[in-house]
Amino acid sequence: MQTLSYKPVFLLLVTMLLPLTFLACDSTEPDEGPGEEELITTITLTLSAGDMTQTVSATDPDGDGTDFQIETITLASGTTYTGSVELADDINDEDITEEVEEEAEEHQFFYMVGGQASGRVSVSITDKDDNGLPVGLEFTLTVTDGGATTGTLRVVLSHFDEEPKNGTDQSDETDVDVTFPIEIQ
Amino acid sequence: MKSILSACRIRLILLLVLPSGATWSQQLAGRVMHGEYQPLHGVHVFVPALMQGTATDSAGYYTLDGLPQGTLTVEYRFVGFATVVRSVSIGIGRTVLDVTLEPEELELKELIATAESPGAELNRATLSVSSLEPEELEKLRGQTVAEALSHLAGVTTLTTGPSIAKPVIRGMHSQRILVLNAGVPQEGQQWGGEHAPEIDPFAPVRIELVRGAAGVEYGVGAIGGVIRLEPRELPVVPKVAGSVSVNGFSNNRQAAGSALLESAVRVLPGLGWRVQGSFRKAGASKTPDYVIGNSGFSELNGSLALGYKGDNFVLNSYYSLFNTELGLFKGAHIGNFDDLQRVLQRGEPSVQYEFLYSIEAPKQTVRHDLFTLSGHYNLGSGDRIEMQFGLQQNHRQEFDAHRRYGNPIDDPAFDLRLTTQTFDVKFRSFPRGSYFGVIGLSGMNQGSVNVESGYLIPNFRALTGGTYARGTWVRQAWTVEAGARLDHRWLKAYPRVNQRGPYTRVTHSYTSLSGVVGTIWQFSRFWSVSVNLGTAWRPPGVNELYNFGVHHGTAQFEIGSSGIGGERSYNLDMTLRHVGRNSSLEVSAFNNWMNGYIHLFPEPEPRVTIRGTFPSFRYEQTDALIHGLDGVAEFSFLGFLEFRAQGSVVRGVNRSTGMSLILMPADRLTLSKVLNLPNLGRFRSSEIELESTFVRRQIRYPKGVDYADPPDGYSLFEVGYRVEIASGTSTIQLGLSVQNLFNTVYRDYLSRFRYFIDDPGRNVVFRLRLPIG
Repeated sequence: MQTLSYKPVFLLLVTMLLPLTFLACDSTEPDEGPGEEELITTITLTLSAGDMTQTVSATDPDGDGTDFQIETITLASGTTYTGSVELADDINDEDITEEVEEEAEEHQFFYMVGGQASGRVSVSITDKDDNGLPVGLEFTLTVTDGGATTGTLRVVLSHFDEEPKNGTDQSDETDVDVTFPIEIQ
Repeated sequence: MKSILSACRIRLILLLVLPSGATWSQQLAGRVMHGEYQPLHGVHVFVPALMQGTATDSAGYYTLDGLPQGTLTVEYRFVGFATVVRSVSIGIGRTVLDVTLEPEELELKELIATAESPGAELNRATLSVSSLEPEELEKLRGQTVAEALSHLAGVTTLTTGPSIAKPVIRGMHSQRILVLNAGVPQEGQQWGGEHAPEIDPFAPVRIELVRGAAGVEYGVGAIGGVIRLEPRELPVVPKVAGSVSVNGFSNNRQAAGSALLESAVRVLPGLGWRVQGSFRKAGASKTPDYVIGNSGFSELNGSLALGYKGDNFVLNSYYSLFNTELGLFKGAHIGNFDDLQRVLQRGEPSVQYEFLYSIEAPKQTVRHDLFTLSGHYNLGSGDRIEMQFGLQQNHRQEFDAHRRYGNPIDDPAFDLRLTTQTFDVKFRSFPRGSYFGVIGLSGMNQGSVNVESGYLIPNFRALTGGTYARGTWVRQAWTVEAGARLDHRWLKAYPRVNQRGPYTRVTHSYTSLSGVVGTIWQFSRFWSVSVNLGTAWRPPGVNELYNFGVHHGTAQFEIGSSGIGGERSYNLDMTLRHVGRNSSLEVSAFNNWMNGYIHLFPEPEPRVTIRGTFPSFRYEQTDALIHGLDGVAEFSFLGFLEFRAQGSVVRGVNRSTGMSLILMPADRLTLSKVLNLPNLGRFRSSEIELESTFVRRQIRYPKGVDYADPPDGYSLFEVGYRVEIASGTSTIQLGLSVQNLFNTVYRDYLSRFRYFIDDPGRNVVFRLRLPIG
């Protein structure tokens, strides 16, 4: 009896150590796959007045603010501009503008002017979704007469996934929030 | 040897002097053995009713003189062995009672067999230890393990909505707590506050909670405490038996159930098995005022156990599967810091949600497979060798609401697979004189792989090895233990530069010591005091080294620090225990000095990204002190009325700045009264329980770091009724209770969604347990 009982112990040891041998070589080395996560990296504003067109962009190539670059919008006094906005994911080479167009009922851009320019510059949205509510991919920007000054234009893209879009309130889910410096000449 | 004997005599004389009243002339004598041939020397033999005792001599013999006639209860207690309690009828003259003691199965002294023995309870451990027995767990079935544990003093929960709860022991959670499942450390993914432990709340186990640093026994990471899940012993009788449990919860319309079958095998005595399965299905929870949208969950778990008990060895295998899909409150999925400010100002969700069972993104699915093989072999000398092997895989997928191309519901943002193998081999000595000890070796091999590109933590490979020794010395009223452990961890991680850059390869290695000294002094029959000084450490987690990005739900940008080192705890714990005939008490005071405490510290500048502004936090180290007091007191009056009071106080201070630590649980007190009702026909053991919980507002928090001040204090009330209905030879257990009786609106400070929503409202709970066979 005493000698017999050593056998199970030996078996026990072997069974315990066996899984170690074939699992120990599993690799954790990462694969260099393409990024698949949606990430807005560039917002571009196009402003046209007459035959003059300027594009101003803000780029955040990693999406985390590490190399965030914002260009300055230069405006002329007493001018009305026709504006549009474009969004891109440069990492995955995707145009996010189309996605916003397709889901226009769930998105809205908000344009807020700050600083000394706030009395001089106004933005009104010209496009509407199927419910007749503003989208903001198209807009007009008006600069009243006056001297040279500076200010800011904050562009916010709200995503309405849960809350219903009512055309005036922002949602709790912001996809883009960029503040461009403005110079009025 | 000689001195022990003379000490025994002194104690014997003292004890004989103590009892007053008439003297009797009856005698009880016998021999105490281990197995058939091994006499045990120094076993305490005690008659609680008479406060009279003695110890066995070197041949294992004992004699108790001067006993009255009638039935007496006698305890036989010896260190390293399960205490035996015998009822004996004392006749005229000499009565003989021989007893055999069995070595204890558990590392910490087993409670089940000795529930009536105050000695065992008073000498349980030098650290503060509590347990939830299967029958106590039965009363809490259907809730998560964290919620069940929060019924013990010093434990609270860190919640992320109604579907996620993590246990917090004395202010510490996640990687500062070790969960030991069937003997092996459970290696799940505890990277964030929203990652709950992957444990079946119906698992047939007893749960033991160790508060404070226990690095020598349990290794790297046991800084704040240990949760031990110990599967119940397999049956030895070849008769198929089991039970079916059914639960219903009104608040989230949760249905939960579990079935268990077990037996020994007739043709092969010693072989036993158990099969168990459980499910939980819940819809969205409700606060008193609104539905918490998308807070349902769906869980399917099971386990298999097979064990063989031979003449001198035991071999057990255990497999468990945990499978969950859980929704996260949609309103907590915010874009940036301005969004959070808007939500805070509004104070409630912007949308009226409907009750739904279905789960949408944001959600998590987690599967945890655990296999363990454990055994011990008794050497002829009475010493034994114990072995344990564990293999587990944790697969966690997190689905974001809509930051993905394709379908967010099928396409996870994070997909992490963590595979871990562990082993532990130890030699446990048979008591020699007053000493016994354990020496051991343990190791772990771990690998984590990101399946998707979404980056929460980098891939890594970790190897850990350790060796330890622990000894215990017991003499009379004193128990002294000491131990030391050396661990080494090697870590190779593949972090990306700034989340999106190229992969790099970095290796770290950490080596450190853990230690413990502790003592118990049972200074009276009913009282003991214990002191434990322990030191434990943990290396930084991969998330603390390499996190980089926005934490959803709180809109904070978290940045890991690859240069940080390990964290060390020096924990001093003092516990006063009392076990009387109608009362019991356990109070612990603790002082935990943490050197190199890893925490998130706000950066001076917020992070400005294309999505807006985020407050930024970086993992840093500081020196901290976490101290406090917790305890429980129970009284019973006249056998039918029981009172219980339980409270905990935790204080956390950053020793460098003098500021309070964030997210320390608020002071709390729970009072309960149980009224045992008389048996009425088939209705037995029925009881009514009233419980009230009072939680103060946390006034100690770092100012200007959190987005909102801690919420107000609150009081919750619960009422419950339980009864056992005899039906033939079996007993049906039935329970009905109402949690949050007055539908109180409240937010707990440790609810991570307290910025967005209230905690759930009234909940009517129904529990039924039917025996099979």
